[in-house]
Amino acid sequence: MLSEFGQIFVFMIIAVILIAFIYVVVRFIAPHKPSRQKSDVYECGEETEGETWIRFNIRFYVIALIFIIFDVEIIFLFPWAVVFREIGFIAYAEMAIFLLILIVGLIYAIAKGDVQWDKPEPVIPKLERQLFSAKPDINKKDNQY
Amino acid sequence: MDKFFIFVLIFPLLGFIINLLFGKRIKSEKFIGIFSSAVVLIPFLIAVYFLIYLFSLEPQSRFITLNLLSWIAAGFFNIQFSFLIDPLSLCMVLVVTGVGFLIHWYSIGYMHNDSMFSRFFAYMNLFILSMLILVLADNFLLLFLGWEGVGLCSYLLIGFWYEKKFTGDAAKKAFIVNRIGDFGFMIAMFLIFLNFGTLNISQFLAAIPVSFEFNSGLLVAVSLLLFLGATGKSAQIPLFVWLPDAMAGPTPVSALIHAATMVTAGVYLIARCSLLYVYSPITTNIVLIIGIFTALIAAVIAAKQNDIKKILAYSTISQLGFMFVALGTFTYWLAIFHLITHAFFKALLFLGSGSVIHAMSDEQDIRNMGALKDKMKITYYTFLIGALAISGIPPLAGFWSKDEILFKTFLNSGLIFYIVLLGIAFLTAFYMFRLVTLTFYGEPRYAANIHPHESPKSMTIPLLILCGLSVIGGFIGLPHITHLPNFLERFLSVVFDKTETALMMYSQVNKPEVSLEIILLILSVVVALISITYSYKKFSAVKKFKASRGFAKIVENKFYVDEIYDRIIVNPLYFISDKLLWKIFDIKIIDGFINGLADFIKKSGEDWRRIQSGIVQDYALITVSGIIIIIIYLIFF
Amino acid sequence: MQNLILYSLSNFIPETILVVTIIVCIIADLIIRKKSFAVTFVAIVGLVLSFVFVVKQWGLSMSIFSGMLAIDNYAVFFKLLFIISTLFILLFVETSKEMKTASHKNEHVYLILSLTTGAYLMASSVNLIMMYISLEMVSLTSYILAGYLKKDKRSTEAAIKYIIYGAASSGIMLYGMTLIYGYTATMNINEIFLYLSKNPITDTPVLLASVIMISAGFGYKISSVPFHFWTPDVYEGAPIPITAFLAVTSSAAGFSVLVRFFLVGFANTEIITAVKWQEVIIVFSIASMIIGNFVAVWQTSLKRLLAYSSIAQSGYILLGLAVVNSAGLFAVILYLSAYLFMNLGAFYVTILIHNKLGTDNMDEMDGLGYRSPFIGVTMAVFMFSLAGIPATVGFIGKFYIFSALINTNSPNLTWLAVVGLLNSVVSLFFYVKVLKHMFLNKPEKPLPELDYGYANILITLLLAVPTILFGLYFTPLLRLAENSIKIFGLN
Repeated sequence: MLSEFGQIFVFMIIAVILIAFIYVVVRFIAPHKPSRQKSDVYECGEETEGETWIRFNIRFYVIALIFIIFDVEIIFLFPWAVVFREIGFIAYAEMAIFLLILIVGLIYAIAKGDVQWDKPEPVIPKLERQLFSAKPDINKKDNQY
Repeated sequence: MDKFFIFVLIFPLLGFIINLLFGKRIKSEKFIGIFSSAVVLIPFLIAVYFLIYLFSLEPQSRFITLNLLSWIAAGFFNIQFSFLIDPLSLCMVLVVTGVGFLIHWYSIGYMHNDSMFSRFFAYMNLFILSMLILVLADNFLLLFLGWEGVGLCSYLLIGFWYEKKFTGDAAKKAFIVNRIGDFGFMIAMFLIFLNFGTLNISQFLAAIPVSFEFNSGLLVAVSLLLFLGATGKSAQIPLFVWLPDAMAGPTPVSALIHAATMVTAGVYLIARCSLLYVYSPITTNIVLIIGIFTALIAAVIAAKQNDIKKILAYSTISQLGFMFVALGTFTYWLAIFHLITHAFFKALLFLGSGSVIHAMSDEQDIRNMGALKDKMKITYYTFLIGALAISGIPPLAGFWSKDEILFKTFLNSGLIFYIVLLGIAFLTAFYMFRLVTLTFYGEPRYAANIHPHESPKSMTIPLLILCGLSVIGGFIGLPHITHLPNFLERFLSVVFDKTETALMMYSQVNKPEVSLEIILLILSVVVALISITYSYKKFSAVKKFKASRGFAKIVENKFYVDEIYDRIIVNPLYFISDKLLWKIFDIKIIDGFINGLADFIKKSGEDWRRIQSGIVQDYALITVSGIIIIIIYLIFF
Repeated sequence: MQNLILYSLSNFIPETILVVTIIVCIIADLIIRKKSFAVTFVAIVGLVLSFVFVVKQWGLSMSIFSGMLAIDNYAVFFKLLFIISTLFILLFVETSKEMKTASHKNEHVYLILSLTTGAYLMASSVNLIMMYISLEMVSLTSYILAGYLKKDKRSTEAAIKYIIYGAASSGIMLYGMTLIYGYTATMNINEIFLYLSKNPITDTPVLLASVIMISAGFGYKISSVPFHFWTPDVYEGAPIPITAFLAVTSSAAGFSVLVRFFLVGFANTEIITAVKWQEVIIVFSIASMIIGNFVAVWQTSLKRLLAYSSIAQSGYILLGLAVVNSAGLFAVILYLSAYLFMNLGAFYVTILIHNKLGTDNMDEMDGLGYRSPFIGVTMAVFMFSLAGIPATVGFIGKFYIFSALINTNSPNLTWLAVVGLLNSVVSLFFYVKVLKHMFLNKPEKPLPELDYGYANILITLLLAVPTILFGLYFTPLLRLAENSIKIFGLN
């Protein structure tokens, strides 16, 4: 007799076999006529443009992270609302403290300039040395690494 | 209230720490000097207070145990930081801190302008601390801590002027010779712990009468081993060779460590364990014989030395021999009495010699001195009184203690020992007045560019105080014939009463006869006076010094003891360690093994190191495969 | 319900104080807006307050928040250890030049406090979920702290490596926890123990796999082999005060939870024979000692050397756990208290050297012992203590570990003690190598003397003095350890 874990194990084996089976079957049945359009990246029907692996601005992530943090905290309000009547004032105080901490967090994020999209001062790139003024010193070691 | 006593230890510790850490930054010599002396003076005052306090108690309850904290508690091996305040240890504390304070005071002048002024006082304070731990310890391990502490300080202070090679050599010699003694001490501790299950001194002593016979093998072994330790610290035959060399250190060090306090640690140890020695009379006889031989040989050698400090060093060895004679005749309080008076007059003599050396611009050879008595009056008079005290002229301190030793030896050990001791007393007066005469009388023999002058006040005042103590110090232990109270014996009798009881069981103690005592007393004074006169006559007119020949030459070369030790012990050891142990055992076997091991470690480390490639994916891969391998192994094997 | 929460909260004061301190620090930082000691001061006050309330918990034995956390002497011991090490780290940061180059100003203060709070929770958690969450709390703050020098490429690299490796490990651990939950239907380790000891053990492979997977998460925190890979890279990249923090607080927290997990949940002869976790710990321990010591020999960077030394040291501590009796646990507690002083000390001397020389490469330290005798001597004290030379606290730790192993009278564990001793010999090799550089190697050209301020000397002495003092007079440590482990009820 299989234990419960044994059943799960059997289930896993079946899953692997099934997927492998489908791959094999597809290999035999499907017609194979590749074309450029077929092997292109699918982007909602638009023509693809540029590299697939591009760098996104880090600020998307920062904003998204901050959003998610505050968004998820709302979840805590629901169970609180359910038991609010039973617990009474304590529950109120607790949630007040909780929200207060969140507000401090929000102020912190704002004060550190993390929700600002445009940095107030653009950083103008500077040239480290003048071109053509002298021969580049090939003996100079790069001290970084 | 009793806990208050701990400040006796805390102050020197404080002095040591502050001098060590901040000494260099404190520029003022005056501050360092006064501060370091104060941290010794305060314990002295506390000890005086406790002395009065002890007197206010019943004699039987004059034992205060200070149990501070548990030091080591590993199973049944339990060592406490506990100190015992009783008449004996309090006497020692008073001597150590009292004489110690005077010598600290003196050092302010003596060490003036030394580049390592603060370090000197740091070591001195550490020494006082260790010495106090030694005399106050209630168990052997704590005592051993102090024992090693004073050894360390002695090493550091002998080699204090480490720029000169011979100071370093002397320091090493002192340290190594003491190791032999410490070896005995340690074995004794092991034996005690194995057989008695405790290292507490009182418990150990209390257990002796219960379960042992006189001269039982174990007791003899333990007492002999402890005595070996004592011969090392107190410079007795065969381990006395380090003390003369130890004079390489600054003179206050010689006064404090190598005359007044540390070298008496061995005497203290045996007095503390007196019950053990009463129960092993064999050892006590050995102590007596060693003591008498040491006293004799050192006195003979001292008579032919020319270095002012060397003479005093041999004199110290000789006087320590006297103390051991007292221990060997079961009169323990007397050993402590002589220890105290000796601390006074020998510290005085050393400090006086320091004053002379100071005045003579570091000249130590008495052949190059002479006629100093008018140039430095205070030093001269104090030194003279010290010399009279050690020679045994009444009513100075040395007379009372030494004469009592002579008398007790006559009573307990017989005429032959007495005659030898009387001879030593003669020699003592002789070499001391040879020293005094050559230094202070006669014609000046020093170079013209030396201008002797009296030392500063900070040096002469301690001399005067010690001089006063050397005069009156003997009155604490007046003999019975004077019909005056003997303070010291009565005070210490509580400590030794068990010993006395045991002694009664073992042998009959001869009752002293008054007439005999008076005769012997007069005899020894006469001998001392003859010796002094002879010595003065002989040396006051000396102008030229001839090279000695025959027996005199042997004596001048200290019986070639150092050379004999070199030939018999040191050279063979060198030979064996160099040719056999070093060339073959060390280089071939041990080094080969160690280097092989090191190579193996490095080689194998190299391979392991490659795993750390710096690529985090690899790490995860190795980790996961590691987990899988372990799981598979555990499931299937 | 309400009473339960209030009751739990009233026993949750030390943690609450820390959280409030963190918020106050954040607000203070926002108001002050420049580098200031005030924020650190607030943190120190908070820690001291918390210390007072932690001490008040000594002797209690209860569980709060419906069996999530336990308040007992064991937790109190670890909390005290965390407070002391955090106080030291705050002082380290103040005196470290490296940390002054950071673009952040006071953030490190509340990050360090957050880590301490997480460590508090780790030490007292008795529930798998709580263990996981507190472990993550410690981990997340350590990632940020490791990358604290944003402009320094190495620091950033360390943070990224750490986070990736940490994520992988905690993922594995979480999977292990689900398996245990599936098996016993509970998350509380006390109940897990009850379940396992009352019911016959079937499906050992599942239990085995889950225990090993969980120990992967703990093993990564204590940097035991084979979960140690992040250690050298992160220790080298992170600023030295942070490295010290990770090496002491974070790994001590790992030990606190690891020991509780095994000795509360699985300490039963039948369970041990079935689950074989003792063997697993022994394997980890031997591997840690060997790899840590043997690779450390090769290091030229002092930080990397200390990293491998930490790996080896966790090997020794695991030995104490592998004994599975009170003597072993006793030794673990002793060793951890010794570890606090000697490891912090070694790192602090490294900070001082780095302040003056700007490097932690040992070749640059030739003759340093003569240029600055204070540094040389204190470094010698810490190195000898780490190597376990007598008269230092490190010796006491090692002594009790090995004596616990030998006193079991089981030949296998005795052999283990022999392996440990041999490893100590190997470790002496590289600890002394540091001193060789400082004292025996002559620098190529004569260099000026280095001297240090009073603050530096004071902090070093605060660590060096206990290292020697507790090596000579260790009875208080013994008492502390004895009382800390009573709740386990081991024989």
